[in-house]
Amino acid sequence: MDWDQFDLNPKVIAALKKADIKSIKEILNLSGADLQRLMKLSSADIQCLLKTVSYALRRNSMLTALQLYQDKDHLTSQHQKLSLGCSVLDNLLKGGIPLVGITELAGESSAGKTQISLQLCLCVQYPYKYGGLESGAVYICTEDVFPSKRLQQLIDQQHKLRADVPAEIIQKIKFGNSIFVEHAADLDTFHNCITKRISLLLTRGMVRLVVIDSIAALFRCEFGVSDSVMKARYLQTFGAQLHSLSTRFRTPIMCINQKLLSAVVGKNLSCFLYSVVGNRVSPALGITWANQLLMRLMVSRISQPEPSPGAASHHTGSVRTLRVVFAPHLPPSFCYYTVTLEGVKGIK
Amino acid sequence: LETGPCGLSKEIGISKEEALEALQVVRQECHGDAARTAGGSGATRKCTALELLEEEQAQGFIITFCSALDNILGGGVQLTKITEICGAPGVGKTQLCMQLAVDVQIPECFGGVAGEAVFIDTEGSFMVDRVVDIATACVQHCQLIAEAHREEDHLKALETFTLESILSHIYYFRCRDYIELLAQVYLLPDFLSEHSKVRLVVVDGIAFPFRHDFEDLSLRTRLLNGLAQQLIIIANDHKSAVVLTNQMTTRIGQSQSTLVPALGESWGHAATVRLIFHWDNSQRLATLYKSPSQKESTIPYHITSHGFRDVQPPAVTQNAEDTEMNPRKRPRREEEK
Repeated sequence: MDWDQFDLNPKVIAALKKADIKSIKEILNLSGADLQRLMKLSSADIQCLLKTVSYALRRNSMLTALQLYQDKDHLTSQHQKLSLGCSVLDNLLKGGIPLVGITELAGESSAGKTQISLQLCLCVQYPYKYGGLESGAVYICTEDVFPSKRLQQLIDQQHKLRADVPAEIIQKIKFGNSIFVEHAADLDTFHNCITKRISLLLTRGMVRLVVIDSIAALFRCEFGVSDSVMKARYLQTFGAQLHSLSTRFRTPIMCINQKLLSAVVGKNLSCFLYSVVGNRVSPALGITWANQLLMRLMVSRISQPEPSPGAASHHTGSVRTLRVVFAPHLPPSFCYYTVTLEGVKGIK
Repeated sequence: LETGPCGLSKEIGISKEEALEALQVVRQECHGDAARTAGGSGATRKCTALELLEEEQAQGFIITFCSALDNILGGGVQLTKITEICGAPGVGKTQLCMQLAVDVQIPECFGGVAGEAVFIDTEGSFMVDRVVDIATACVQHCQLIAEAHREEDHLKALETFTLESILSHIYYFRCRDYIELLAQVYLLPDFLSEHSKVRLVVVDGIAFPFRHDFEDLSLRTRLLNGLAQQLIIIANDHKSAVVLTNQMTTRIGQSQSTLVPALGESWGHAATVRLIFHWDNSQRLATLYKSPSQKESTIPYHITSHGFRDVQPPAVTQNAEDTEMNPRKRPRREEEK
């Protein structure tokens, strides 16, 4: 760190160099008293130093809420979201998936989580005008093999799913080329994947969506009940790394989580966060992971499709529910959807 | 003063050190003048406990729009104090913070403190569209009161109490790691001096940047203590409420585990008032866990499209509107004997 470029008293600069302090982080990690002792300066000088380096780090960092609200630039605006490719589903989420933060998609098996994720990998490639981010996606498989056949089916049927997009635009997009598939069956491989491979793809602007299918599988085998502290630490580290990537590159991270539903659940949404019996709590992928999330969505199959007059006859496949469990900008709500040949479609 | 030491030294042709010292002397003079006229809020002074009590009772509260919560807090979120909100994800901590950032701006004639808000976001959960919903509902609420009472000052206040005005007085800072947060808090006193109408500082959430990255827990404890000290000083010097949100973590005991606020035991001393939000089946509950003046109690609350609210809306009569919106005008009631 070149201290000379800062607006500091030369004696402070000399003291910094003498104390071998190399970064702003080192300065802020020390208390005022420690700094005084280390650099042998007065408390007024230290206060001045702290303010100067803080200013260097944080100048021009303020925005008013009005500026946030009025920002319509797709590169910075909060209003920009990643569409799910279906207007009903987008309406549930008030536009789609937020670009900064980790969104979790949880639910029992075969409820449609992979289907929704594949659909997102295609949606992200559309132009901004059609709810996409004009970039590719990286899909990390942690247990199953990547469903390439199904992906090909979806690609072939895009013109049917996305009737809102002109055919010539759809034809121009080479969907298969921009989906990068990674396999990571254990924690070390996963860590490597996030820190090296995904960072690279993001830095080059080749992807604007990361899907992890699934996060639970990584932790299932390797940790017994007694290792919950270790597990919590890994979860926190991974969560922080993903969060940091998401913030730096304005890229949504979609984590698929398999919840083991017990008979207790029913309408009890709180059970997905932690199960409480009196004061006792069972730690699960539960609260440590949930603390890292911006938004939690849940999918489930309902045993019998709701008999609604007229509409039911079109939906021979089972009807499923997409529910918002929590999100800072959405009320707890849900909508129905089906999985058809061309993809996931909401039912009004 | 504005040129800065480098510019000054170049212009006058003196050494940088001399320029800095000259500027320091000039600044002290200016501060001295200001301090003399303002009565020196930073200087130490002696006063009696009675004076302190009177000062404290005159302090404003920021209402939450959930009268049950305001009641257990003794009127609302108190200025000059640090209030901590703990809870599991999705229970409503950020919702209350956004509500307070709007409510702090309510004009005095409607029972508010007519202040501005600083919102420091470490998690990226500040969604401005939601704040717009909350602010719009708040303005509408005030408009209803103005229509019912038809007083001059109400109507005049409403001219400047609009959605745009509310949004423009929420100062938003996004801190992506603990270093940025520490730096931002070092800069806060100067920011608050420049924006003297700020009456609320929110840090949402304080735990997030401190819960990973720390091999050395003693460093974390020291940094958190330092942060708490600075926030206490800020709350006092600038007569602002400081509201922090904290996560919950599992404490594994011998036979069972419980949910406790994160950041450890020593952090528990940082806040003056601690609220814990939790669920009971699908009902959200707020428990006042720690307070110097109010007793521990639990109340239910609701989050609607308009924001943070009571579970049952109070009966819509004129009197109820009065008590809800004008805590200062609330008649003194007999406490339970």
